[in-house]
Amino acid sequence: MLNSAATDVSAANGGTEATAAGPPMLAVRGLTVEFAAMAGAAVTAVRDFDLTIQPGEIFGLVGESGAGKTTLARALLRLPPEPGRIAAGEIRLAGRNLMELNETEMQRLRGRDLSMIVPNPRAELNPLLTVGEQIATMTRVHLRVPSREARRMALDMLRAVQIPDPERRMGAFPHEMSGGMAQRIVIAIALICSPKFIVSDDATSGLDVTVQAQILELLRRLVLDRGSAMLFITRDIGITAHFCDRVAVMYDGEVMELAAREDFFFRPRHPYTVMLMAAFSHNQRLRRMWSRPEALPGAAEPAGACRYVARCPLAQDRCRAEHPALRELALGHFARCHFPVRP
Amino acid sequence: MRGLLPFLGQRMLFILPQLFGILLVSFFLIKSIPGDPAVLMLGPTATGDAVAALRTKLGLDHALPMQFWYFLVDLVHGDLGTSWQTTRPVLEDLLQRFPATLELVTFGLLLAILVGVPFGVASASHERGWLGRIANAYGLTAGALPDFWLALVLIFVFYTILQVVPAPLGRIDFAVLPPPTVTGFLTVDSLLAGDWAAFASAASHLCLPVLTLGLVNAGPILKMTQSTVERMLHSDYSRYEVLSGLPRGMVVRHALRNALPSIITIISVLYGYLLGGAVLVEIVFSWGGAGQYAVQGVLNSDIYPVLGFVLLSAIFSLFVYLAVDILYFAIDPRIGR
Ligand SMILES: Nc1ncnc2c1ncn2[C@@H]1O[C@H](COP(=O)(O)OP(=O)(O)OP(=O)(O)O)[C@@H](O)[C@H]1O
Ligand SMILES: [Mg+2]
Repeated sequence: MLNSAATDVSAANGGTEATAAGPPMLAVRGLTVEFAAMAGAAVTAVRDFDLTIQPGEIFGLVGESGAGKTTLARALLRLPPEPGRIAAGEIRLAGRNLMELNETEMQRLRGRDLSMIVPNPRAELNPLLTVGEQIATMTRVHLRVPSREARRMALDMLRAVQIPDPERRMGAFPHEMSGGMAQRIVIAIALICSPKFIVSDDATSGLDVTVQAQILELLRRLVLDRGSAMLFITRDIGITAHFCDRVAVMYDGEVMELAAREDFFFRPRHPYTVMLMAAFSHNQRLRRMWSRPEALPGAAEPAGACRYVARCPLAQDRCRAEHPALRELALGHFARCHFPVRP
Repeated sequence: MRGLLPFLGQRMLFILPQLFGILLVSFFLIKSIPGDPAVLMLGPTATGDAVAALRTKLGLDHALPMQFWYFLVDLVHGDLGTSWQTTRPVLEDLLQRFPATLELVTFGLLLAILVGVPFGVASASHERGWLGRIANAYGLTAGALPDFWLALVLIFVFYTILQVVPAPLGRIDFAVLPPPTVTGFLTVDSLLAGDWAAFASAASHLCLPVLTLGLVNAGPILKMTQSTVERMLHSDYSRYEVLSGLPRGMVVRHALRNALPSIITIISVLYGYLLGGAVLVEIVFSWGGAGQYAVQGVLNSDIYPVLGFVLLSAIFSLFVYLAVDILYFAIDPRIGR
């Protein structure tokens, strides 16, 4: 399976931007992350994962809880959640193979060339330091600018993320901020060194809808202004419809479908994608037709089966016997399904 | 610092009731120990009449609550009673002995901090390394060693065999004139007086008892530092700092800062506890400190030295806790604002 998938995908996974001259901003090949279990076999949270993202691209990755999104995001920084470990794969950032770097080189790269936006930012910020200090620390450490300059840059960044009254907010502590404001601080920390690539994990999930929209718009502009690229991970398929250039759906550690935004939303091919979209519909019949709520995700499929087989309303014998590869069904439109839905 | 004064004022409000409660409990507890000071003072040959007369003179014929009341009235006038053993006012005795204990305990604790905190941090940040294992072993051993036993071992090695320290007899050589009392700390007072001979003698007498207290009490400080820093290193914000590419040393420093309140707490508890808890070390080194004084009082139904000691220790502890509150306030912006 490994071979067939790899060749299929590497051929055209660059999507519509495959013509770009330089290397892709991020190229992930065969990434596998495992959690050693107390007893029995290890849990594989990310399976043989391939992903290519071009400069200036915002790539949406959708998946339900437990799909392996956080594990993937942190594995990209080579820091999978404990006790997980990267069992195989290659990660290239602007052509540079991260798996070959030592820990010190990785540390210098994180937050500077490759940064992460985390969810639930109020718990993630150091409670004893002012937010101004925490933003300024990034440039002091990574860009080696003097303290005064670091503070000035932090203040500019606070303005850029549209924090009201930024001079005063420099001296505020995390517990004095609202969730939305803390989210802006975390964005400021992630972007202040103008990284090449940003991984955003569930960044806006805790916020109410209007704040969410503002922050997404801001994030999009800041990423594009800096010529970066971003992997935007979310549970909310609706967000990606407005926000991302390409979208992929992840299920149980694998990409199930990947396409440019329009293609993805107007011509979904994988039953799982259709189910996710139907879940947003007001049409009861449509929702029931595409979901099998009695089945649990990841429920003991035989090794060679499609990971989605237990929940798939279209499953046939072949789906239980043969694991499908990610196939290109139309230009830049991939699906991992033996019997894709007709567009 | 906005809010510090109201915060402290609130704490101060509780100090007097706290002291009263401590004295009340101590008074009745000590009185419940069997033994009649009048009998002890007059010896086994005394007549019943003489004992009764002395009891009246000492106020022992009153009911207990009345005795407590008289004690409080005297206390308000600055009179802590008289010790029948030393036949001197308790306040005078204590003003001489309390600084002796305080000097010993303070330096002992400083050593314990100097050993415990760095080792605790090092072992927390190298959880599985050899440093972590040494720290674990040390934490276990230090908790299991009795301090007086360690003191005897140290005396045997450094006095008997190596002869690099003076005999364990008091705070300063008999031949050396103690410096005039300012703080009661012989080291500090001799420095203030510019008396180097006295300083050298006092410092060399401090070596072994301070080493004993330091090594034993570094154990709990090390354990607390290790476990708290370790917990902080596993917290969300430490993980986020690592994800943000901050250097390991900085992440550990920030974790230590977040762990400081717990470490300060254990230090302050040890400080208060050691005033009485160092008594075995005081006895081994014939220190003549306040702990020794109080224990003599308990053994001989000499109640006023004991109450005086309890009162002074309580006041001292309350001030330590007050200082701790101020430190918390300075460290953590979430407190009291
Ligand atoms: N500490 C762990 N030990 C064992 N397995 C784990 C551990 N953490 C995660 N996993 C496995 O990895 C899978 C993916 O977890 P992950 O946190 O990446 O999901 P997620 O997509 O981010 O979910 P959510 O949307 O809830 O954040 C889980 O289903 C679980 O089986
Ligand atoms: Mg997650």
